[in-house]
Amino acid sequence: MHIPDGFIPFWQCIIYYIILIVALYFASKWARENLDEKRIPLLAVLAAGIFAIMSMNIPIPFGTSGHMVGGALVAIIFCAPEAAILVFTVVLLIQALVFGDGGITVLGANVLNMAIIGGCTGLYTFKALKDKIGIYASAGIGAWLATVLAALACALEMAAAGTFPLSVGVPSMVLYHVFIGIIEAVLTVIVIMALNKFRPDLLVWNKNKIEGGE
Amino acid sequence: MDNRDKTLIIVAIVICVIICCLAPFIASGNPDGLEKSAEDANVSEEKATVAVEPPFPDYTFEPLESLGEVGVLILGVLLTLICGWGVAEIVKRRS
Repeated sequence: MHIPDGFIPFWQCIIYYIILIVALYFASKWARENLDEKRIPLLAVLAAGIFAIMSMNIPIPFGTSGHMVGGALVAIIFCAPEAAILVFTVVLLIQALVFGDGGITVLGANVLNMAIIGGCTGLYTFKALKDKIGIYASAGIGAWLATVLAALACALEMAAAGTFPLSVGVPSMVLYHVFIGIIEAVLTVIVIMALNKFRPDLLVWNKNKIEGGE
Repeated sequence: MDNRDKTLIIVAIVICVIICCLAPFIASGNPDGLEKSAEDANVSEEKATVAVEPPFPDYTFEPLESLGEVGVLILGVLLTLICGWGVAEIVKRRS
């Protein structure tokens, strides 16, 4: 889902950069109020893990492949899409400048899709469903929906940019990401299960329980 | 930082390194969803440009072939870990 340079005209890139600056303002505000010393290592290892997992493209039907993105995962773990914005700005900046994966001019659009849209969709789906169907099912559905909606947003941006029309972009992007979303959902649930088992203290929704018990 | 945090970091790095060692050999080379959609719409491959020439384009380091890919991926993991940590330290909660 990494948009390369050249796919979005310069003046539209500026709009996405303005969105990125506003998002980073809110993300740093969130961090100043909520990111305590204890969760810094978690944020750093999530950034590294997301970088690594993005190299693992898994084949899906139609001669296509996809990898986990992780925007929903970060937002759910921290109960804040702001955390995803911080992590993805770092990861996408390094990918663009050092490895040529995703463009530097389109950084704003890539953060918008993967962190803001992906993170918000994942987190708010998780929050809405977790008391009804449990944390794992709701995280899985949240991650799947995050992938599909981010792909849909990407198709809209490509149409606005004049790169490819909605008539091709929407069905293609949504169809492929319906499958890529399954990869996203499975890996998101695995990571949350592992954290819940080994480091439940790092998960925000366990916080009240743990503090209450002490 | 207590021992549990150290364990978290070590386990995470080990998992990342395993992924980095496997990815160049088992990751699919098929186009991703966006590239494939661009193909579906007959977008020319030249449409994708590179504004800033990266040192390791497409996660490769040509002289070392697959080993180079493993190496640059591990380098990328360490770089994101350090930068992620650095950014978190800068913006963290002030008491």
